[in-house]
Amino acid sequence: MSSGKPPIFRIEALQQHYGGRRALFVPHLEIAPGAIVGLMGPNGSGKSTLLRLLGFIEKPSSGLIHFKGRTAAPFDPRIRSRVTLLPQDPYLMNRSVFDNVAYGIKLRGAGSDSVQRVHRALAAVGLAPAQFARRPWFALSGGEAQRVALAARLALEPEVLLMDEPTASVDAESAERIRRAALAARDQWGTTLIVASHDWSWLFEVCDAVWHLYAGTVFPAGTRTFFPGPWEQAGEGAWRRRLADGQWLIAPAGTDPSAPAYIESQKLILSRAPMVEGSRVVLKGTVLRQALIRRTGKVVVTVGIGELTLTAVLAPETLRNEGMAPGDGIFVTYAPEDVSWIDSS
Amino acid sequence: MEFLLDGFVQAIILLVHLDPETYSAIRATLWSSSAAMAVSLVLGLPAGFWLGYHNFYGKHALRTVVDTLLSLPTVLVGLIVYAFISRQGPLGEMGLLFTLPGIAVGQAILAWPVVVALTATAVESMDRQLSITLRSLGADRRQLLLSTLWEARFGILAAGVTAYGRVMTEVGISMMVGGNIKWATRTMTTAIALETNKGMFATGVALGLVLLAIAFAVNVSLSFLRRQVR
Repeated sequence: MSSGKPPIFRIEALQQHYGGRRALFVPHLEIAPGAIVGLMGPNGSGKSTLLRLLGFIEKPSSGLIHFKGRTAAPFDPRIRSRVTLLPQDPYLMNRSVFDNVAYGIKLRGAGSDSVQRVHRALAAVGLAPAQFARRPWFALSGGEAQRVALAARLALEPEVLLMDEPTASVDAESAERIRRAALAARDQWGTTLIVASHDWSWLFEVCDAVWHLYAGTVFPAGTRTFFPGPWEQAGEGAWRRRLADGQWLIAPAGTDPSAPAYIESQKLILSRAPMVEGSRVVLKGTVLRQALIRRTGKVVVTVGIGELTLTAVLAPETLRNEGMAPGDGIFVTYAPEDVSWIDSS
Repeated sequence: MEFLLDGFVQAIILLVHLDPETYSAIRATLWSSSAAMAVSLVLGLPAGFWLGYHNFYGKHALRTVVDTLLSLPTVLVGLIVYAFISRQGPLGEMGLLFTLPGIAVGQAILAWPVVVALTATAVESMDRQLSITLRSLGADRRQLLLSTLWEARFGILAAGVTAYGRVMTEVGISMMVGGNIKWATRTMTTAIALETNKGMFATGVALGLVLLAIAFAVNVSLSFLRRQVR
């Protein structure tokens, strides 16, 4: 993430605990201004926690977040209305759409152009101001409410826009409007976008970088597949885990049999016919879906095996040559030594 | 039970004929209870917000104490305030005994836990996302407090109505601290107590009905206000 400019965020040894349980640990991370960073990972992996910390909504248990080179904390006047978070279930205040969108501008001391700004923000998310501005908060659909909430953030012309699953519970049109409005903010004001999403079109088509989160650990760059525990002994120096369909995962012996392990997507080999190569592990699964990673031209393929979903990254020609389509049976081959352990201590 | 009907007729006569004694009691009641409400809202809303919004060690115990104070006996408040503001008391020099401000002090103490407890409940029941939303839109601590109270305004209005009802209808404090002085500190409730003692049941009932009518008027105006702030 080196772009020459100093990072807009620099995180150092950041930890967040809830009730004695560690929810997030980020040793060191930097985010370049104007970047679009995607956060992917299962529910409970720490995405929302990371967004709330970066949005200075809550204080970390330990560690530091530098904003534009200086340490910042919640209620810091330097970050107020510069960094804004769109939560997963945005709350609309009990007032009109206009007043909801104007709220942040008014807090900052409304300028003479506040009405135009509210109208511009509403138009940016595809809501006609004449039709929507005077509506009360309860006369909106779920998708419209989400777009009003986004408009309230866009009206601030923020330097950083953090979005938590912005398109998870809205229809396709709203999702597209939200995506376009966020990207327009980046183009217009150089807004840094950080988006937690399960939406592949966000993660692989739009983002400059995708960070994978699992069990509170952040893995910057690259996609991975996570193998949750518990593991059992499988001969010398190896552990194994039985999948729901009776197949076995093999990994080099670790330290904690309940710990999750992971393998980088590039290390998974997909083939239509089983490969027999010495000590490698061969698993049979089904192709679930495919998506183009626009910035690299490669293709992400997910394969369902038992209860697991494996994510592989292939060159498009491999995909064509092998003729893999969703629904096809597929063999996944990997070397056990490529499996790494997540240090959950 | 004829006195009930008599009372009803007499209530209308008292109101229509602008009976000065009745109006003096109405004025005293409205003055002391409104002053008490103003004080208890100013002191109670921030305290209620603080109690409802923050999580801290001992919160549960503190909530129990505040909830217990909801059933604070009016005569106990009257006794304590009397002790403080009587000539020998620590605040005796302020000359509050047997005055309407004196009654208002006691009634504010009575209303304060009601305002605090119901505001805390209203704030607690707000969506957790509200705080995240306000902060993500740039609210500082003061704006967070004001906007949260505004969002919880219907619950807080209910708190106000409940406290107002308790204050306006209490008799213990008004009697002990106010002294039931005709034309000065005689409120509706102390007047009713006096009339009952004199055996003038119909007049007592009439005054009771007038009090009920005032409560009704207060509630009607608050529900009008509620529609306005939607």
